[in-house]
This record gives sequence, structure tokens and C-alpha cells, in this order.
Amino acid sequence: MKSMEKKFTHLKKWEGTLAACIRCGYCFEHCPMFKFTGWESDAPRAKIITAFGLLSGEVAPTPAAAEKLFNCFYCKRCEAACSSGVALTEIFTDAKKDLKEMGFKGPGTTSITQLNCARCLLCVSTCPHEARSIQETGIEVDPAKCQSCGICVEVCPAGAAKMGNTFGTSREELTHEAKDFLDSHSSARAVVFACNWSYYPDLQASQLPESETKDNAYRILVNMCGGRLEAQLLMAPLLHNAWGVLVACCPEGDCQHNGNVKAKKTIANLKKILEDVKIKPERVHLVEIPAGDKSLFQAEIDTFVDKMNTLGPIR
Amino acid sequence: MKSVDEPKLREIVGEKNIKSDPSDLYVYGSDASVHHAMPWVIVKPDTTLQVQKIMQYANQECIPVTPRGGGSGMCGQTVPIQGGIILDMKGMNRILEINMPDVYCRVEPGVVDDDLNMALKQYGVFYPPTPASSRIATIGGEIANNASGVRSVKYGATRDAVMGMKVVMPNGDLVTLGAHTRVEASGYQLHKLMVGSEGTLGIVVEATLSFVPIPEFRCMGIANFDSLQDAGEAIGSIMSSGATPSMLELMDSIAIKAVNKTMNLGLKEVAAALMYEADGMVKEAVDYEINKMKKICEQHHGKDLHSSYDPKERAKIFMGRKKLFPALSKYDENLSSTSLADDMAVPYSKMAEMAGKIHEVAKKNNIIMTAYGHCGSGCMHTKILMDTKRKDQWQSARKAITEIYEYVRSVNGTTSAEHGIGLSKAAAFKVEKSDSLELLRIIKKALDPNNILNPGKLMQAPDNWVTATNLRYSVNS
Repeated sequence: MKSMEKKFTHLKKWEGTLAACIRCGYCFEHCPMFKFTGWESDAPRAKIITAFGLLSGEVAPTPAAAEKLFNCFYCKRCEAACSSGVALTEIFTDAKKDLKEMGFKGPGTTSITQLNCARCLLCVSTCPHEARSIQETGIEVDPAKCQSCGICVEVCPAGAAKMGNTFGTSREELTHEAKDFLDSHSSARAVVFACNWSYYPDLQASQLPESETKDNAYRILVNMCGGRLEAQLLMAPLLHNAWGVLVACCPEGDCQHNGNVKAKKTIANLKKILEDVKIKPERVHLVEIPAGDKSLFQAEIDTFVDKMNTLGPIR
Repeated sequence: MKSVDEPKLREIVGEKNIKSDPSDLYVYGSDASVHHAMPWVIVKPDTTLQVQKIMQYANQECIPVTPRGGGSGMCGQTVPIQGGIILDMKGMNRILEINMPDVYCRVEPGVVDDDLNMALKQYGVFYPPTPASSRIATIGGEIANNASGVRSVKYGATRDAVMGMKVVMPNGDLVTLGAHTRVEASGYQLHKLMVGSEGTLGIVVEATLSFVPIPEFRCMGIANFDSLQDAGEAIGSIMSSGATPSMLELMDSIAIKAVNKTMNLGLKEVAAALMYEADGMVKEAVDYEINKMKKICEQHHGKDLHSSYDPKERAKIFMGRKKLFPALSKYDENLSSTSLADDMAVPYSKMAEMAGKIHEVAKKNNIIMTAYGHCGSGCMHTKILMDTKRKDQWQSARKAITEIYEYVRSVNGTTSAEHGIGLSKAAAFKVEKSDSLELLRIIKKALDPNNILNPGKLMQAPDNWVTATNLRYSVNS
């Protein structure tokens, strides 16, 4: 197993940090993947343990081990919360570089390009991380550079750009969840799509008694970065009798993917479409929530729900 | 290696609730302790019935089962040293009932402590044992360890808050222990026996917990000391004065330096700092307690005293203590913070001596140790900062631990204050409990005759943990 160590040239420099991580697990609550699957092996600590194991030779570099490192939305909430100062996503990126050199491609949460790609190159020009490029074989994604923001998915007119693993954040999954909520709650008024920074803090992984949730007027769904919000996704709740859709993302300048700028454009366009079909544009609204400002988030939700109650259902 | 019948387990819990890839097993082989061992399979049940069926199968085949909550234990409680099944209880994560008229709540074991408190907050109540790891610690894990925390000095530990529980026994039988009432006078209090049993006697599948009102007023203060001795004596004086702090925390100079370095908190770098808090429904009563503690700190040469009711200011004062455990790993970039001999309790009058002893032993063995903890409960924590690659540092750490616990016993202290025994502290635990070990073994044998539940822990754990278990660090030979 010792010879394997040589192959992890990028990961090698983190040897001390990997030992220094005290494995307290305080990063769990910040990870959208852990919240979705409930498996510890999807939490940030698991990636650190895996990286340590790969480096020490205790974990073989198999597709399953590599997948753990390729699965990350780069919201970087774990990193911001780590008081041991462990640069988690930098470690994940270096591990991905090594794994890529060994022939592992993920995809993990990395974006992929399907065969129906029209090679319009929109995804190449809009990718904020320069992860997409045109090659002889078609559009290639560098899994070590891709930060899974999903902006390519939003801009692809052919629907060819997709996220590998979505952990509940794909358009289909979110639409399904919104429909489920709207169908099962007579009190339902709004669906709130929130990026992983604006939605904090809340329950980590526990479930409330039904009596606490059955009268809820809204449901918060985490879509990761606001940049990946598609018009079809935002319209879907309205088709299932929602009275309005609220979008929460980081304030301008705060988003590492510039996804909030993208989200603003999407919302502005959607408002125009709504107006065209005689639906009041204020039924779709975007708010900017600084990380951790739970009271502002709650106040914005309450204001929006009040407004929807004033407007009534869409006829 | 003995194998498990995976298809059988898949049949019980479903395809999605089982993992057996070596990379998953490796992750589940460690917790926040220094130990590591590989399980054979990880199973995440959703229901009590599934737990019963798993236990029936495991008991029949004599397969070890290690229940696991958040995996935040610091003594290796969930490290499966004999392999077998890891029972990840985080799948049973429902808050079942919040019963305000009868002042209790019922929860499944995978509910996270902070989540429970978030749900209780809207009713104006809280669940008080809350350890520092409350953002990931599950109620099941807290019960298994009899967890406590900063406010346990006033509100007690987990054992004080648990009214009853449902437990799946090693043979798969489901039993209901305790009651939904505040008192239950006689008979063996088996639910209390389960608390602190570290998953060796049964699997808690539901717990009935009491809660208390959130106080209207909370005031926190801080006092700096130029000597650890003075701070330690102030603790003893506060607790023997009849004062009722809702928190009384100590941080030594190493701890202060670590949080300043990691979080740039700007705490004054003195020999020791005491953080004291009082709470209540009447401000005058809180004032009385705070002033009493302030006065005692002053008598023991405490300085820079200040206190505040303001939540933001309180959070600022407490931030260093709250984040201390992770912050210690940043004390020196060549050193790692290890959870070794991390927890003990001594009588109040010995707090100062205990803190001094920790520093003395560290110096003698050429390692760095901190002294901090919930001193109002008599609980002292330490961390050993060392170069984990160096074998000689582990030997020094081992020697230091032995000396520390020898001292603890000599002053009638105890090995486990709140972090449990697991593997790391088993040697000291066995010496301390030498005349009752046979009783513990008889209880274990009676409830778990095949010895399948978390085997090799507590009184069964090997004395020489450095060589008898794998360490999670790479140690040069």
C-alpha cells in the first residue's frame, strides 16, 4: 500500500492538516448532502477521513472511495464552520486532482454532458470555474475544476448539461417535492427555493412531529446555488396551485459562483412571462439573505406569505 | 474475518439502508477519538421492528453490534473493535411528541440535540443536558454516555432528564422502562441503568425526556486570573458558598491562546479565566447570584471582571469556550489535539490542585496539556497536544494519562465525568472500579449473555489501548 502514497502528490501537502482535524463532526449540519442522505459517509468529515485513508494507504483508490471526494457542491459551509480552520474544499479539490490523474472521473456531483449536446458552447462561456471546454470528442468537463454550481444546467438550451449526483437538488426532484407539499397541505401558499447559504440555521437531520408541520403555509426547498434555478422549476409550483414562489439567495458579491446575478436575471425574465399570461409578477419574488441571518429570512418569508394571502389563489 | 448475511439484513432494512463498501466501512470505523477499527457492515434502521429483527439475527449468529449516533464520542465508544454490525441510529430521527401539559417529550434516538431544542424553543422550554457537541450529538448517544454540558451544574446530566425509554434487548425483545411521570419510587430503575451503559446493554429506540422553562434572564460574567491556583480556589469557594451558577467554566492559558489564535477573539492571555453564568425568572435573583460569584472571584484575586445580560455580549464571552475543542488543534501546526485522558471529575476543593497537576504531568512528560471544563460540576477536561506521528509522544501520553488518573483516584475523583469510558479510559476505569467490576460483568452477562452489544468496551476493554487497538493516526515506527 505504501507505493500508493506517491500517487497522491497533491493530497500529500495536507498530511498534517488531515491528522489535525479532530473529527468532531461539527461540519455535519452544514452539509446539504448529509442532510439529504442521512449517511455519515456523505458528510464532510467522511471526505476528510477518506482523504486521510487514501494518503495513508488504508483506503484503496476505488470508484466508491473516489466518488466520496467527487461528491461536493462547494457551498463551503463546512469550511466556514470549521473552527479548526481545515480548508476542506481545497483538500477535496487536491484529492480530486490526484484521483483524476489516476483515471477516476467521478462524476459525483460534477456536471456531465449528454449526447444531445448541440455544441452551442453557452456552457463553456458561462462556467464561472472554467471547467468546461470544447474538445474533439465534444464538451469535456474537468472534474477537478467543476464546483457543481449547476449554472451550465440552467443555460443549456438542449438540456444536455446535467449534474451527476443531485442529492435532491435536480429540477425533477425539487418539482416533485414541491408538488408533494402543495398536494398534501390545504394551508399551502408558497414554495421557497433557497440556496444553501441563505437557508440557515434549521433542523439538521431530525423530523418534527406531524402536528408541527401539517398547517404550514410554505415549504423551504434547498436548490443549492441560485444560479441553477431554471424558469421551468420556478413555474412548476404555480402549476400545482401554489399562490407564489419565493427565491432566497446570497447578496450580490457574496456568491462564489455569481449565481445570484444569474438568479436575478431569471426572476426578471419570469416576471415578464407572468405578466404576459396575466399573472401578477409579484407572485415570484427574490430576496437576498446574508449567510446566517435567520431572522431576516423568516421575516421575508412571513411578508411574502402575507402578500400571497392578500392576492389570493391564482385563478 | 467473520462475515454477515447481507441479503438477510437487506431484507430487514431495505436496499437503501445498508452499506458495506470498504470505503464506507472505513469512515464508520472512527469517531472523535484516537481509535479506529473496521466494521463488517453498516445498517441504518428506520423502525423499532427493524432493530428487533437485526438484534434477533445478530444474537442468533453471535455477531457484534455497535450502536452509533452522531459519532462524536471521544473515547472510542462507537469504534467496533470486534467488527460486526454498526447500527447507525440516525435513521430513527423523529420527534414523536411534545407534551406540554405533562412536561415531557418523546423522541427517537437519532434526534439531534440542537434540533430538539429548536423544536422546544417555541414552547418556551429547553432540554438542558446539552453537551458542547449538541449540533451533531444524538439523544441516543447522549443517553448511552450520560452526556452533560455547561449547564449541568444547575440542571443535571442526561440521567436526570430521562424519565423512561423503550429498549430493544440483545435478543430482540422490546421492553418499556421507566415511566411518563416525574417520580417512580421503587424497583430497579433500569432506564437509569441504560443511561451511561455505552450501548453495551440494549438499543434505545425511544426516550421520554423532561424539559424545563427557558429562563427570562441570563447573565454571564468573566474573570481573569494570574494563577491557575487562584482560579481553582475560586471555583471551590463559589460552589461551597451556596451559589447556584447555571454555568461555571474554566479555561487555562493554553486554551485561551488556542481560541485567540483560531478565532482572533482577543481574550486576555492570562493564566486562567473563569466564565460564570446565572439564570432565572427574576432579575434581582440573577443579580444576587452574579454578584455573589463576582465577589468570590475578587477575593481570589480575579481581575478584569465584567458581566452582561445582552445575548450578543454573552455569546462573545462564551464563544471561546464553545469552540475550544476544535480550536485546540490550531495551537501549534505541528501538533494535533488528541482526546486522551480528556475527562475526569474531582471534588471541588481539589480543582485547583487538579489543574496544576495536569500542567505538572505534561511538563514532566514533555507534552502539552490543557485544563478546562465544567468546573461547577467538578468536571475537568484536558486535551493532549502532540506530534501524532512520533511513537515516543504516544508513549509519553500514555505515561501522562496513567499519572493523571492516579492522582484523580488519590483525591477520590472519578475517571468519567461526562465523556464516557469507551476504550481510551478503560484502564483507569477498571482500576477505579476494581471492587465492583464483577458486579458489572454479572449485569452485562445477564442482559447480553452472548456478549454481542458493543463488546470489548468498558470493563471488557483492553488495558493497553495503544497497542491493543488501531490508532486513527499514522504513527512512524
